[in-house]
Amino acid sequence: MKRVTTALLIIGLVGACHQSAARAEGRFLATGPLPPAPVPVENPQTDAKVRLGAQLYFDTRLSADNTISCASCHDPRTGWANPHPTDTGIRGQVGGRNSGTVINSAYMRYQFWDGREESLEGQALGPIHNPIEMGETLENVVLKLNAIPGYREQFNAVFGTDVTTAGIARAIAAFERSIISGPSPYDRFVLGDETALTPAARRGLRLFNGKGHCTPCHGGPLFSDQSFHNLGVGMDKAKPDLGRFDHTKAPADRGKFKVPTLRNIAQTPPYLHDGSAPTLRDVIDVYNRGGVPNPWLDPLVLPLNLTDREKADLVAFMEALTGPVPIVEVPKFPDGPGGTADPKGGLR
Amino acid sequence: MKPRALGALLALTLLGASVLPPAASAIPVFARKYGFNCTMCHSNIPRLNDFGQRYRANGYRLPGRENAERTVLESPTPLALRTSAGFNGFRFNAAAGGPNSSTFELNGLDLLSAGLLGRNIGYFMVYVPEIAANRGVAAQRGGLEMASVVFSGLARDRLALRVGRFEPAYVAFSVKRQLSVAPCEIYDAAFPAGPAFSETRSGIELTGRAGSSLRGAVGYIGGPDTDRPYDAPADVYGRLSGVLGPGEGQTAGQRIGVVAYAGRTRPADGGGPREAYYRFGGDASLNLAHANLAVAWLMARDANALWADEGQNDTVTWSGGFAELSYLPLVNLVGFARYDRVNAPDLSGRDIDRMTVGGRWYFEDNVAVHAEFSRRTVARDPRHTGTDATESFFTTRLDVAF
Repeated sequence: MKRVTTALLIIGLVGACHQSAARAEGRFLATGPLPPAPVPVENPQTDAKVRLGAQLYFDTRLSADNTISCASCHDPRTGWANPHPTDTGIRGQVGGRNSGTVINSAYMRYQFWDGREESLEGQALGPIHNPIEMGETLENVVLKLNAIPGYREQFNAVFGTDVTTAGIARAIAAFERSIISGPSPYDRFVLGDETALTPAARRGLRLFNGKGHCTPCHGGPLFSDQSFHNLGVGMDKAKPDLGRFDHTKAPADRGKFKVPTLRNIAQTPPYLHDGSAPTLRDVIDVYNRGGVPNPWLDPLVLPLNLTDREKADLVAFMEALTGPVPIVEVPKFPDGPGGTADPKGGLR
Repeated sequence: MKPRALGALLALTLLGASVLPPAASAIPVFARKYGFNCTMCHSNIPRLNDFGQRYRANGYRLPGRENAERTVLESPTPLALRTSAGFNGFRFNAAAGGPNSSTFELNGLDLLSAGLLGRNIGYFMVYVPEIAANRGVAAQRGGLEMASVVFSGLARDRLALRVGRFEPAYVAFSVKRQLSVAPCEIYDAAFPAGPAFSETRSGIELTGRAGSSLRGAVGYIGGPDTDRPYDAPADVYGRLSGVLGPGEGQTAGQRIGVVAYAGRTRPADGGGPREAYYRFGGDASLNLAHANLAVAWLMARDANALWADEGQNDTVTWSGGFAELSYLPLVNLVGFARYDRVNAPDLSGRDIDRMTVGGRWYFEDNVAVHAEFSRRTVARDPRHTGTDATESFFTTRLDVAF
């Protein structure tokens, strides 16, 4: 009888653990799809504002030489990001960082890799007056857009004023806030659809939250802890980009960059703040080596000892974080100085 | 353990399996708190990986994320359980004299609680219930095996102070988190009634780090059981280690360490003054891809009174160590082989050799089937006739934690 009891006890222990583990596979982020995007009280979403924001987003007349728009570096055709390692602005000037995706940027507490802006409204104006990107002054942009009747009318309809800097920021931010990804295979999995993830992606999920050490920074429904960490990428250069430090001047922030969302990450190569990783596999290799040694390396960035199969499984999991994104056509722009509207969208 | 108690444990286990909510199941305390899989901190349970080592050294706070930590009052119930059950077989030769046995057994039970009491105050507790030997249940000596509080964040997070009963830092390779069931002989070896090197001890321990690679610890702890209640604690120790390359030397980086221990205690019969004993040693944890080589060597120098030695020398010296190679070809498989050696004091001459091989296969992070074979040989006493005493141990068991 005692042997039988012991055997039953063993079976009970196995059952307890196995049943729980099956349930628990996706537990750490059992938050389902993204919640509704936060909208600031001072800039409520309206259809007219989003339409106006879309026009401004795609309009090259916001740049000094009418050649660069927001979409030039945050292209909807390439995951609302830049397929090149770093940005190219007016007159062919090359920037130092990779353009982050607009997808789900509405959820991010900080904008830009160094987090120097804490709202989409603040972010929207940054590239316009960045001398390397769009190279225009905000005053001149306001003058240029006020000279376009179609814009002036829309601004009056939406904001009750002519074109203003604040209006431009709010309209573009409202448009960007509409670019939200829908449920991904991962979301369907955590909601109970066991077939939503491939076996490789399921293995990748376990690695993501275990041996891969991903969740301490890439946790939560957005797969970002909305913070800044130092992986050491680029810190071995003679003049490294110090990231967050350039904004805060806090010594501990040297080499830290924002933790990007991993939702739809498969659509936005290349990766890392300097675009130095062409593929997700390359990013995993950086982590697998334990980052790049430097005095401010994040203490949780450690060599992972991942096998090739484990790396592939992690990639499969990250690919399963891809959800549908609104399809946005290039809108028709109002005629005016700097360009004439193309009936098919864009400018002629 | 009586059949009724065993039945109650069985019922409790099955009940737990059925009623525990998903978020609170299958994962012990820390994993449950953060929602991590066990492999976040363990290369293979129970051994810690570098991440887990840093977490422990940081006072049970995620390094760099201390401000986001939750205390035990804000976290899931901080309780966990670890046990194992399976087949054990022992074979002894005539010189060893033990009764051969082979049986299915429940091999003990650990109850564990840990977490943060405050922002920089962590605690760790392991309670081992007393279990009487019974057919089907291995005996277990009960007690509060560990119960310590660690104050972190001292000197800009460079120092931490641990108070209570804990596994001291001079045990370079934790026996609570070792892969094998068979003990490391040098950690078990001691003068008669003396403390095993790996025993948990009560006292205080200050740990610190300098730069990214240098680690140190000093401790002041109570003596072994042979001390009298009015004896002040008289044992001190220090450990210094360095890591070459990234990591903590657990699964990445190459760690080299040295330890020194000085203690005073009374002989086993409790008579006479306290006598001195010392331990010195070195250790290394070397990693290459998925393989780890753990090596430790200790030298002991004890007052001869502690060995009841009436020889001419003032001290008795002995030494020993082990080398263990482990290999993780897959995330859910680890194999290990270890050789133990103890060069016994001349007065005994009974040197010990142990060879252990085994492996663990993880069905889940926290459910492993463990198979191990170990053969221990104690050399015959050279002063007498006879043969070496050999003891063979085989086990295959299921090791679970939840």
